[in-house]
Amino acid sequence: MTARGGPSRFLQSVLQNGVGRYVCQLKRLTLVFSKDAQPLPGSQVGALYILSVYREYIEEKVVDFAKQNPGIVVYVSPKPCRVPKLVAEYLNGSIREEPINSKTAEEIAQLIQKMASQSGLDIIRIRKPYHTDSPSIQGQWHPFTNKPTSMNLRSFDAISQQTDSP
Amino acid sequence: MSSGTLDGAFCLRGTTLEEPRRSLVAALRGGQQCRSQRAGKDSECDPGGEYRAVPCAGARPVGTGLHHVLVTAGPPLCGGDRAPLSAGAGEKRWLWPYLKYLKKKAELEGPPPPVPRSQQPNFDYHAEIVAFSKRLHENFSIQLLKTAFVSPSYLVQEEGRRRELGLDSETAALNLQDNQTLAAVGSDFTVSYLTSAFQQAFPSLPRAGLEALVDYLTSQEVMCHVAQNLCVEDLALSSECPLSPETLEKTFSAVIGALLESSGPDTTGRFLQDFLITQMIGKDLFDMWPVMDPMSLLVEQLSQRNIPLPEPRITRQSGATTVLPVYFVGLYCDKKLIAEGPGETVIAAEEEVARVALRKMFGFAENRRPWDYSSHRQDISDKKAVHAS
Repeated sequence: MTARGGPSRFLQSVLQNGVGRYVCQLKRLTLVFSKDAQPLPGSQVGALYILSVYREYIEEKVVDFAKQNPGIVVYVSPKPCRVPKLVAEYLNGSIREEPINSKTAEEIAQLIQKMASQSGLDIIRIRKPYHTDSPSIQGQWHPFTNKPTSMNLRSFDAISQQTDSP
Repeated sequence: MSSGTLDGAFCLRGTTLEEPRRSLVAALRGGQQCRSQRAGKDSECDPGGEYRAVPCAGARPVGTGLHHVLVTAGPPLCGGDRAPLSAGAGEKRWLWPYLKYLKKKAELEGPPPPVPRSQQPNFDYHAEIVAFSKRLHENFSIQLLKTAFVSPSYLVQEEGRRRELGLDSETAALNLQDNQTLAAVGSDFTVSYLTSAFQQAFPSLPRAGLEALVDYLTSQEVMCHVAQNLCVEDLALSSECPLSPETLEKTFSAVIGALLESSGPDTTGRFLQDFLITQMIGKDLFDMWPVMDPMSLLVEQLSQRNIPLPEPRITRQSGATTVLPVYFVGLYCDKKLIAEGPGETVIAAEEEVARVALRKMFGFAENRRPWDYSSHRQDISDKKAVHAS
């Protein structure tokens, strides 16, 4: 199917964000991981390795991230799960989950940074890469757009001759 | 599903002890290629979740000559008389009717009632309140902000719950204030700030227009839209879920009131400018201010300004006999063209031209200068003056 078949939207922001002040749209970030390594079916990477990487991120970077972004509430929740994941909740109510197997600590940090900079609007095709609140400076087209102004003038010679003749 | 998951030593959940023959037939059909005992592992990795074939400790082995099959008690076998559609279809004939039943049940019951975010896992109320304040780059007093989110219905419900638990009325009384006073303070300030801001920005707009603009921005629809996108809904403490628009609007007003009491009117004004006045972007004056008869309003305004009455004239027309006619009407005051507007009929064009003239007069034309949202515009100009001297 071509790109036309999928859902699409126009370029927009939540609550005209950034016109007045910028508000980070990520409100809550939950790091879900299992305390002990659980076997991952069909995984190339060992579960222990993934867990160690995630632990490395949690131990070294997550506190710094939370300090740098006081507007984001970060929850670290150890609970039995096969694939460790990130759950991001946005101000407009949308929730996004990202599984983080086979990622290095650096990649996890990048992913979290990306989530923090997103708006929470659907990630679908954007119809136009620009937006304007006044689509036309010139005004809407009408039959007289770009017509010569001489058309406005009308000579009344014929009428005046008719009135003069009797 | 491949038949590989069913070979070797395995048990069939979903068969009864009364029907060993049927399960044996199914096992034989499924396990014909089996020659090994490794299937126990395979079935453990089966993605079918709860309903997969698993080795059972308490099951009874039944010798078949070719393999041995464990038979255990479980849900009754449904649809056993139907011929299998594919090679593996008979293996879990109870599964499809069970899923169908679940689907039907979900359809009948509808979606489960919404649970407030504060009752779901991973929610720390204090941390969320602090983050709310930081996110908006404001210095709320945390105590006031917490009060702003408490609605009266929550207090009633919570005290009732405590009484049910057997606490006496003195202990059951909550040491909390509701947000009624803060909401009143907040909505009063919102109206007064917006009125003065619009008076400054649009000095020629009449009183009725100013009120209409303020009413639009403080309407339930706009306030609730802003509040929902600032995550006020998650933090509000109320007995109802989801929050009714009235409660949401009141809570947001109370948040504004809390900001006013903790940071003063300047900061609150900037907050309103950034979150409420931005909602006017892309809106036309007459979207917010419904005027039924623009021509009489125009005549009234012109007579106040001592300008002679307007004279509408058709300036251009095209396709008058077609289904898409267009007329252009110009308004002349004192032989000068003050506005020109199109319409499908002469009457519609005349109304439109009156609206165009009013927009021009009130400084609300489409090509007006956008609102200045810079937060320190006053401070910057003051500083420049200081540096220049």
